[in-house]
Amino acid sequence: MATTTAALTISSSDLVGDALSLTTTNTLNKAGTTIGLDQTTGMTKAYLTSTDTIDLFPALVEGSIAFEGKSSWVYICNKSEDEGEYALVTIGGINIGRLYAGDFLWMPWDMIESANADNHHGDIEIAPSVATGMWFEWTCINEGTEWHAADLAIS
Amino acid sequence: MATTATITLSSDIVSDTLKFSTSATLTKAGLGTALTDAVGLSRKTVAGSHAQYTLFDGDAYGDGSHKVYLKNTSTDNAEYFTIEINSEQMGKLYAGDWAFFPWEANADTNDIKIDPSDNDMTLEYMLFYE
Repeated sequence: MATTTAALTISSSDLVGDALSLTTTNTLNKAGTTIGLDQTTGMTKAYLTSTDTIDLFPALVEGSIAFEGKSSWVYICNKSEDEGEYALVTIGGINIGRLYAGDFLWMPWDMIESANADNHHGDIEIAPSVATGMWFEWTCINEGTEWHAADLAIS
Repeated sequence: MATTATITLSSDIVSDTLKFSTSATLTKAGLGTALTDAVGLSRKTVAGSHAQYTLFDGDAYGDGSHKVYLKNTSTDNAEYFTIEINSEQMGKLYAGDWAFFPWEANADTNDIKIDPSDNDMTLEYMLFYE
């Protein structure tokens, strides 16, 4: 059984009067169990040269989302060093937030059919702010990814 | 003034050990200046009939490079918080799970809501905002 741990440290000496030093660690398990997650998409490193919104992982197919409600964790990092460059991260077409240069996110993902639908489903998407080229890294650690049959038509 | 967030991930999920660490300095949108405002570190226990609860109201914050930290403090593996943003289900935080993500609060509908799976569950949270 695989063991994956994710730790977060947030620190600041002067954000508040008392120095902030928060550390938390968790082990990534399958939903509602103590069995470790055993699948991953692998770490992707990509240089995106368009401001088009893209899916980071295989698009969810409406009506047959194989891993809906299972445990999935998403990591995305904007590797740009230009503080003005960001990526808008969305889920099912709904804005989550902007990752500016150096920012990362770590979030659970239910792979659930979007309540807002409109053909976006519950996909995780990013849109770079510039088309001059931005580096990104992302990965998903989960209970499984639905890899589509070749030439599948997705409406 | 500076606040830094560091994620460290390690795993034997693949044959070659996966291990990386990334640090980010929390700054204002498009600037090198540090975020200066925060809510928390706080805890919210959703008592009673475990109804959905609005943790952060999009209408209460302007646009900016906000960051959200959430943690389910439960020790019961079956207990989770469902996280929603603008009525879109993001995912579930099971016992001990944490999340850290940017938040765009530029629309009054872009609320972050939590929905506990059981009574009297406690969520730890913090918001860094402009």
